[in-house]
Amino acid sequence: MICRTIGVKRIGEREIGDKLTPAEAAKTIVSGLKGAGINLIATLPDINLSDLLSEVEADRDVVHVPLCREEEGIGICAGAYLVGKKCAAIMQNGGFFNSNNAIVSTLLQYQIPLLLLIYYAGDIGDRTFSTTGGMTEPVLQALGIRYYIMRDPVDSAELIKRAQVLSEDAKRPVALLLTKEVLGRRPALKSL
Amino acid sequence: MRRFDCLKVLAEVAADALVVSSAGAMTLEWNSLRPSDGNFRVRTLGLCSSIALGMALGLPQRKIIALDGDGSLLMNLCSLPTLARMAPKNLTHIVFDNEVYEASGSKKTATAAGTDLVGVARAAGINNSHWANSTDDFTRLVAGALTGNQLCFIGAKVTAERSVVAPFPMDEVENKYRFIRHIEKTEGIEIFKTSLPASYI
Repeated sequence: MICRTIGVKRIGEREIGDKLTPAEAAKTIVSGLKGAGINLIATLPDINLSDLLSEVEADRDVVHVPLCREEEGIGICAGAYLVGKKCAAIMQNGGFFNSNNAIVSTLLQYQIPLLLLIYYAGDIGDRTFSTTGGMTEPVLQALGIRYYIMRDPVDSAELIKRAQVLSEDAKRPVALLLTKEVLGRRPALKSL
Repeated sequence: MRRFDCLKVLAEVAADALVVSSAGAMTLEWNSLRPSDGNFRVRTLGLCSSIALGMALGLPQRKIIALDGDGSLLMNLCSLPTLARMAPKNLTHIVFDNEVYEASGSKKTATAAGTDLVGVARAAGINNSHWANSTDDFTRLVAGALTGNQLCFIGAKVTAERSVVAPFPMDEVENKYRFIRHIEKTEGIEIFKTSLPASYI
């Protein structure tokens, strides 16, 4: 009964969002990235990022770099920035933890901007990853990385563009936390 | 083989290649032989290969040289499959293997116990991977790499010694700005875009 009230739809056993499907949400995010001028995207998969990564893979306008480890992605994006590319890195929050030294001693030390799209595993409502989820915001805060939690798939494109403006001006990484809601995999709630 | 002798050889043929060098004395040695705003010093151990890959992907028409160390590459071995997969034609990845963490008190690395970094590179998918067995061999391989149009990995076993050279003349932030301005000038592109303040409009 609660499901019907807030409009939860299901594909089989998996919930999807009520505003955009995962595929539509992925297209919105990629259009936001391209609208922000992003032309190189380094990625490492997570099941919840599948549609987004498929959309990135299919896009002919961006250089896509599939990674073995997130830390190397920080280096690749830094190198590409130094020669004029605008970069984004898409990863899970555990992978963000893997990248710490590279973020501190390359991005922060050299004052290099980067758009970090970090999937928020262990968010409220998730059955797993709560330890990783619980550490995510404190670690971002400890690193002095400004972050924004993206919940609404409809305004995600504009939010990405604004984050890129901030990152370029500050010459620091800016993080956008990707939630199941913004990825179209769970209905957004007004409370969050 | 001495690293400094190999770097001398490289300096003669590097021309306007961009050079990314790993943390440590190697960077100082390189900078003394070919001072240039096109030299980028890496401070995160291991990231040399990845930063070089990013540059190579960003400027496919420009030669990029990565000067890496064994300690550095061992810390980021997973960069090798990614390099192989992206296969940038304009990148030459050179590893000077002195079998020690030179800047950390010269403790032995895994290559001292037998890890073969050229073998690892080849197994990771970089077919064009070679050990240089002498300075002449190094000269030949480097010339081939820079005139060729293929990702190339060159390993050179060198003695654990540091040449006496001047310190690196600038900090990280200045290196970044000089490097980017160098790219703007030599590639004829605008990277830093400034705009008039709002009050002018």
